[in-house]
Amino acid sequence: MSKQPSSMCPAFGAVRNLLRMEDAVPIVISSGDGCLYGHTFVAHFYVANRPIRSPGVSSEIWAKGSMFDELRAMVHDIAEKHSPAIIPICSLCVSDTVGLPFDLLPKQVGATEVIYVPLPAYSVHTHARAKDIVVDSLVWRLPPQRKQRSGVNLIGEIFPSDPIVLDGVLRRIGSHVNTTVPGPRWADYVAMVDGALNAPLHPFYSESVKRMKMKQGLPFVEGAPVGIAGTEKWIVDVGAALALDETRVRMVAREEKARVEAAISEYPLDGLTVMVAGYEGHEFLLVRLLLEAGAKVPFLSTAVNANPLAREEEAWLAAHGCTVLYGANFDDEIGALTNHPYDLVIGTTPLCAHAKELGIPSIYYTNAIATRSLMLAEGATAVLQLVTQTHRAKERYDKVARFFADDEDAPARTYTSWAAPAIDLTTHLQANGAL
Amino acid sequence: MAVGVRPSVKPSELPSDVVNTPIRKQVTDLDHGGGDTGAMQAFASLRDVNVVLDGPVGCHVMPAVAVINYTDSIPYLQNVTCSELSENEVTITGTLPALKEKVARASVEGRQVIIVSTPVSELIGGAWTTIDEDVKGSALFFDAHALDDDEWKARDRALLFLWEHRAHFVRPADAPAVPKTKPRVHLIGPTYGCFNSYSDLAEIERLIRGIGADVGLVYPFKAASWETADLADGDALVVLYKEFGISLAREVGLPVFHAPFGLEETTTFLRGLGETLGLREQAAAFIAAEKKSTLAAWKDIWNSTHSDFFANAPIAIVAPPTYKDGLERYLGGELGLPIAFSAYRTGPESAPSDAVRAALADASPSPMLVLGSINERMIVAQERMPSRFMQVSFPGAVVRRATGTPFVGYAGAVWLLQVVCETLFDVLFANLPTSKAPPVRADVTTRQILSAAPQAQTDTGKGQNAVVTWTDEAKAQAERVTKRVPFFVRVSVNKKLRAESEKLARERRTDVDLAIVDEITARFSP
Repeated sequence: MSKQPSSMCPAFGAVRNLLRMEDAVPIVISSGDGCLYGHTFVAHFYVANRPIRSPGVSSEIWAKGSMFDELRAMVHDIAEKHSPAIIPICSLCVSDTVGLPFDLLPKQVGATEVIYVPLPAYSVHTHARAKDIVVDSLVWRLPPQRKQRSGVNLIGEIFPSDPIVLDGVLRRIGSHVNTTVPGPRWADYVAMVDGALNAPLHPFYSESVKRMKMKQGLPFVEGAPVGIAGTEKWIVDVGAALALDETRVRMVAREEKARVEAAISEYPLDGLTVMVAGYEGHEFLLVRLLLEAGAKVPFLSTAVNANPLAREEEAWLAAHGCTVLYGANFDDEIGALTNHPYDLVIGTTPLCAHAKELGIPSIYYTNAIATRSLMLAEGATAVLQLVTQTHRAKERYDKVARFFADDEDAPARTYTSWAAPAIDLTTHLQANGAL
Repeated sequence: MAVGVRPSVKPSELPSDVVNTPIRKQVTDLDHGGGDTGAMQAFASLRDVNVVLDGPVGCHVMPAVAVINYTDSIPYLQNVTCSELSENEVTITGTLPALKEKVARASVEGRQVIIVSTPVSELIGGAWTTIDEDVKGSALFFDAHALDDDEWKARDRALLFLWEHRAHFVRPADAPAVPKTKPRVHLIGPTYGCFNSYSDLAEIERLIRGIGADVGLVYPFKAASWETADLADGDALVVLYKEFGISLAREVGLPVFHAPFGLEETTTFLRGLGETLGLREQAAAFIAAEKKSTLAAWKDIWNSTHSDFFANAPIAIVAPPTYKDGLERYLGGELGLPIAFSAYRTGPESAPSDAVRAALADASPSPMLVLGSINERMIVAQERMPSRFMQVSFPGAVVRRATGTPFVGYAGAVWLLQVVCETLFDVLFANLPTSKAPPVRADVTTRQILSAAPQAQTDTGKGQNAVVTWTDEAKAQAERVTKRVPFFVRVSVNKKLRAESEKLARERRTDVDLAIVDEITARFSP
């Protein structure tokens, strides 16, 4: 029953990346205790065992406006006591609606940068967008690009060892990884002024990319070294953008492509139909791998909104039989699920819960997929292995679904009780106005 | 934009004596949910209710998808939706049109819709004040005081609200009448989001049935909205928690009992309930039978050497009032475990994070067992305390759905006793010498040792067998470290600390100094 994308509180995408920074002490101006309690729960589960600080809020505090003084005192306290590199001020729904005079906060206290990060969840809409806002807010604070520059700035949350592997590839074509953001330290962001090329690896950093283009004057390469075609294209594009030796670039690109091909051939997914629903932006790349491994992915349901960075990726997916549904919502996903016997579902918690009711093997995106690499041959192996293993356990899922059905021998709807696909998926989605 | 603020309410005018956790100027690691969360958890527990949260998507996903998955291990609450406010509603139209649509969709035959405000809708002047009849229909509005009330107070107010609206709920025509053959006890609490409630509820139900009474309503957890009025049709009430439910219980007007912790309280509870229900003899017979069944384990453990450690095994408890007080009375009062430190983390007397941190870190000896939420778990880890941790409160991801981990009643007394003993053994194991390396080889003969020892001089000018000198600082630090661990493993810890420190000093050809002690301590810290 949802017209909006099925997303976690969007602000969490930002809070998560900021809390992970070792030399940042974020202040989360909560909308109330319920809001802060939720963020505390998920932050301590997904992010770090670090304190989450907020000024206290109540209707009286908002009415008196005393919160801003408290916030200012907090900023000075933290700066004096811990002297972190940055204090990001995460302003959530209520504080952003009230409209606090954030301009009156100091930009710097001693060596500490104080950076306002606007996150009214009702207009941010997605996790991905919130991550974009963090990168944008932090990068906007940087000095101009230095004259002497080299290497690639990777933009996007990737697996910890991805930059090391990518660096290896880039060195073979005559470049290197300069820095990766979001990173664990402020210095990772500051280092961007030394880079010669920006590579947004996920198709949602559109706002930060737009403003970087205004400010930095660097070339950009879109897409990521994921899958067979993607890997080759990315390496070639980076080579061209940095005017590297073409022969060498082509050779390395071919080698890496062959490695990915070999990795993918280990996991033939021919004949499997997979439903993918994500909200991280990451899902575009996952579908690429699944398609190249032979799976059918009739559509990609994503909370991310249509944006210029995603256009190329979308075209590639469309050419391979996958329609991208932007700003997709839970209702459509459930509708599609209950009318089609998928072999595997990769999606949000509620969607996976429904899939498991039906005895369909399913993987919660955030916990299992987003914690793996997707890049190059190593990434392809990591993801396809999980997909294959999960699908192989289908009997187990089916058994449980049957056990809990009203009639174990004739379950109303489980994966194995289905006959041939009753409804064409796209027909259903069209009927719902989703296509 | 005008900020909507309710006129100040004096405590004496409040509908209950359930008091909020104080609102502090600064908050580090919050330990309680807000009014919208608590109210939603209470209403959504009713099996025929659909809750519509009047707020943006995050106000729905956080409590009803993310948090519920880590408190109740439920993928998400299917009977909760939200009005999904976006910029349009916040800045232009207000929440009414979005709410209308959601209420219409939630108003399914046989479902009672309850709308709950959130901080955002309260701030922008939510629709509940101006709601028109066509939206309202049969839906009810609950002002969650989301900006001001904590989850406990909200639950209390929500349950009272249901009672006040009991005439509004429609009993289905086909609802069977339940004939009353035995005295009937209704339970108030739990709702979703109450720590360990599945086990505690199961134990209280077992006790009530044990003395020959019927468990009537488990309200709201196993009830429907239309059953609210049936609360009056009982002989006694058990209010599971101090934090909420008492306001409803007072309105219902039946004799009230609270969930008991430990042997003594449970016995008093059973006798009292038996007396009230006219089941005195059955209660006595049940207590006698329990001594030979459920409590046989308790007696055996108590009579074992296990209990000899108790007086030297300090614990710390940080939890909301019901659990903090209950655990303190049982573990401290009945079992005799010294309480190194205890504090409320929610409620009117709650202790702020930094005070808890200081008290836990400074305690000497460190508590053997720290009972708390993830906040305390972090403190134990960050301060490198030698303590074991057990979760007894939210927040913190935990699965407590099996009904075999009760804290209350006789079964709870046995389970907690078992946990304490297991922790003792765990600490003991962690501090006993252990090595996966093979025994050290003898490279020289005894004769060689004897002939070499007195003459050989090291760089420090001492003979090889000379005692390694400890600096004063190192000695003080070693003493401090040793005192932090529970008494019964101090011997092992001290032995290990000395042996390892001196080994390192010999290798480095120095005295044992502070740096070495710290290095060795760090190596052994959990």
